[in-house]
Amino acid sequence: MSLAAPTIDSGVLDELRAILGEDGAVLTGRSARLNRARVPAPFPVHRWAEHVPDVVVLPRTAQQVSEIVKLANRQRIPVVPRAGGTGLADGAVPLRGGILLDVKRMDQIKEIDMADRTVTVGPGINMQTLNRRLKRYGVMYPDDPASYACSLVGGRIGTSGFSLLGGRYGHTRDLVISFEIVLPTGEIIEVGDGGARKVRKSSTGYHLKQLFMGHQGTLGVVTEATLELVPRAETEFAAFFLFQDYDTAHRTFGELARSGLATLAGVVIFDPEKVAYLRRDDEAYLSQPEWVHAVTAASLYGTRVEVEAASKVVMALGRSLGGKYIGDEISSGDWAARHDRYANPLHGRASDGQVVPMSWHCEDAALPYSQLPAVQREWHAIAARYVSKYEIFDDWGMFAYTNGAHKPWGDVLVEIDMGLWEERLDEDGWRAFVSLKREIAQAALDHGGSLTACHGSTREGDAELVPIEMGASWEVVKQIKRTLDPLNIMNPGKQMLDEAYADQETTA
Amino acid sequence: MATSEDPNLREAEQAFIERWHDNAYGCYSSGHKFCREVCPVMSVTRNEDHTPTAFHANVVAMEKGLLSVEDVADDYVHCTQCGACELRCPNTLMVGDFYRARTETVKVVRAMRALMVEKGLDPEQWRLWNRLTDELKNEPVLGLEGDQPSGQEHVRDWADGLEIPVGGETLMFVDCEAAFYRTSIPRATAQLLQLAGVEFGLMREQWCCGGPAAEMGYVEQSRRFAEHNVADWRAVGAKRIIAIEPHDYVHFTEDYPAYFGENFEFEIVQIVDLLAELIRDGRLQLVHPIERVATYHDPCRLNKRKGIHEAPREILRAIPGLDFRDVDRVTQWAYCSGGGGGLPIEKPEITAAISRRRLERASELDVDMLVSACVWSERPLSAAGEAAGIEVRDIVELVAESAGIDVGGSAGA
Repeated sequence: MSLAAPTIDSGVLDELRAILGEDGAVLTGRSARLNRARVPAPFPVHRWAEHVPDVVVLPRTAQQVSEIVKLANRQRIPVVPRAGGTGLADGAVPLRGGILLDVKRMDQIKEIDMADRTVTVGPGINMQTLNRRLKRYGVMYPDDPASYACSLVGGRIGTSGFSLLGGRYGHTRDLVISFEIVLPTGEIIEVGDGGARKVRKSSTGYHLKQLFMGHQGTLGVVTEATLELVPRAETEFAAFFLFQDYDTAHRTFGELARSGLATLAGVVIFDPEKVAYLRRDDEAYLSQPEWVHAVTAASLYGTRVEVEAASKVVMALGRSLGGKYIGDEISSGDWAARHDRYANPLHGRASDGQVVPMSWHCEDAALPYSQLPAVQREWHAIAARYVSKYEIFDDWGMFAYTNGAHKPWGDVLVEIDMGLWEERLDEDGWRAFVSLKREIAQAALDHGGSLTACHGSTREGDAELVPIEMGASWEVVKQIKRTLDPLNIMNPGKQMLDEAYADQETTA
Repeated sequence: MATSEDPNLREAEQAFIERWHDNAYGCYSSGHKFCREVCPVMSVTRNEDHTPTAFHANVVAMEKGLLSVEDVADDYVHCTQCGACELRCPNTLMVGDFYRARTETVKVVRAMRALMVEKGLDPEQWRLWNRLTDELKNEPVLGLEGDQPSGQEHVRDWADGLEIPVGGETLMFVDCEAAFYRTSIPRATAQLLQLAGVEFGLMREQWCCGGPAAEMGYVEQSRRFAEHNVADWRAVGAKRIIAIEPHDYVHFTEDYPAYFGENFEFEIVQIVDLLAELIRDGRLQLVHPIERVATYHDPCRLNKRKGIHEAPREILRAIPGLDFRDVDRVTQWAYCSGGGGGLPIEKPEITAAISRRRLERASELDVDMLVSACVWSERPLSAAGEAAGIEVRDIVELVAESAGIDVGGSAGA
């Protein structure tokens, strides 16, 4: 494999250097480009070179971003925004080279407003880092994904992320009050619920914030965000309940989700394959008895007076259908480890049982609660076919979480975790992976679900199904894309949006 | 892609790739970058090329023929070898015990730097620094030019008037920065040991420990210095070495045993552990109050690399009058002075920025003093502290002051 020389001419590089105005902000070296070609999602390592951008830029201001995007329009060069590069779909992976716009240097805390309870930041800041700064003010920004320690605010907006505390505090779409975005043509605008930066609810104009939320880099580059501040939770509580079968665990999940407890941050269910996988390899679960085949867990956040009372309700509901409480130590310990447990390649097993480093493929979908048991069976049946046919997959089981912000009872985020042995990947294996993704995504649609609850449908496999899910509204989506990005500059090739330009020549 | 024509160098590169292949894939397969936000260099440069994730992915890319050492040499200069990334790695945290797995990044950086030296791709300032170290037998901490007092004839100047014998079963090893720049530290240490009745001596001929050379990739030089020092220890019948500085401690407990194998017979003692014990046993009485508001900087090599974090806190709590505002050791995984791994020699502006960030964290606690236990951290931290209005002191200096010792020497320029 070799890496092609950049196709961008030196005049463009000189212009970029003039815009950035400092040394080390325009990178053309091989390692700079290779290291911004992928995200943690399975990656076609054998085709690494195809995903390498031509040039990397590290801007510090919205004005610089605007000028870079305008230059890209003049020269018809793709622009791919990248924040943490920790996504589980391929939003930040360049498909056609171009300018990779890395926002990590835009990581300032610009304002902490304790009167109106907002914090204004650059898109390159990480939530854990932000919360460490906020701690002494007694507040927090409660966007809490599994990638809490590494994802950045810009990527959270780009994917419309899911928070593990979303039932209590809302998800990224609820927690970002307004943001500044550089449009695909370079104009800088602010979007919110109406036009005010610190107002949570408005009836003015259109609600452009939600149009750009989850834009996957296809509608611009976020350059600043004004975020919600909530009082630091005085206390938290987590309880895990053990079950002999999935259906009882699922019904208990429903009981907890419908409890009406305002402090309920979320309910989680582990399916039998997940329990078997954890029992196989994970220290924390080794001691669980053999009869355990499913786990349901709930967590509470809030003031002591609320959480202590609510915890009694959770304990009663968790046991109401026969669930057995796992104990305080594992409950609090496992909940505390909720961020770290996900990034774990060493759990992979080849078909002969050998431990191999596998990349984590997490296929997510949003489903009506009622459909979860049927989809759980279908997804594993699909996975089993691929595991047995190819030597590169491993089924790591499924989680499901309550999905609605403040309304956890109706739908679920469901994910199947699969290992993919990238080191052994060839084109056949990659095609198999894409096909696996497509089958899983189709099953979600067949059951009245949405392709993705939080990662995005940005690449081959599920991207082809985006127009199907969107139905007649796909025409509106394409019109919006083409209106805002007439030359298809922003992150081209994602989500089938090239269809918006079917009758014209663009960068594609 | 540039490839080396010399077959020996190609072989060295191939050996590097093979040695680190599994370790690199463990990270590459994950790719989650939990390490990024605790990396002190990355926190300042915000350039993904400087992440531990990139350091491992580069090994995979080299194996695929996409990268050569030439392409990545400058990237690997951007590391203080603090070890935070290894601690924060989910592979280490979640399955480390189960699989006996630990992501090793510091060793990868050192191995790459060794390759850079072999290929003549080492940065200019490092080359000069290590050449002068080789000539002087100590690091040129007082400057790369001019006629500053350096070399063997001055290596014990710091001890003037203290009447410390040469040789003995216990030796105090004084690193270069302390021996030539911040002489108040070895003076305070020696006088505290004398006060507590600990018998110790100095080496006959003390060379640099060789640790910085190893960190920058000058493996042969590091080993040569180690062999000299160990020969000197053996010649006087030493059994126990007191390391007054964390970098030496890492080097003596990790590199020296690797160099000498089972033939490395010495007990290595870190000074903060020893002082905590002497205070606990009542052999050192801290009676003079120090009426200051202070926080403690966990030196990376004590906290992150060697797990030493209790003793310094025990010591600070024993100092009367001191209002000690602690920050837990895990939060401090993300803290660093930027003074390690050769970074200040080649990239002083990054070191300065890392120290400035460290002082910002201290300022949030409304302290007037930042206490460290690593002389190499204290020069950049002091520079940042001056701007922040926070004094930077070494823990041993404070203990000596509280014990009523008039230390003497210099606390740096």
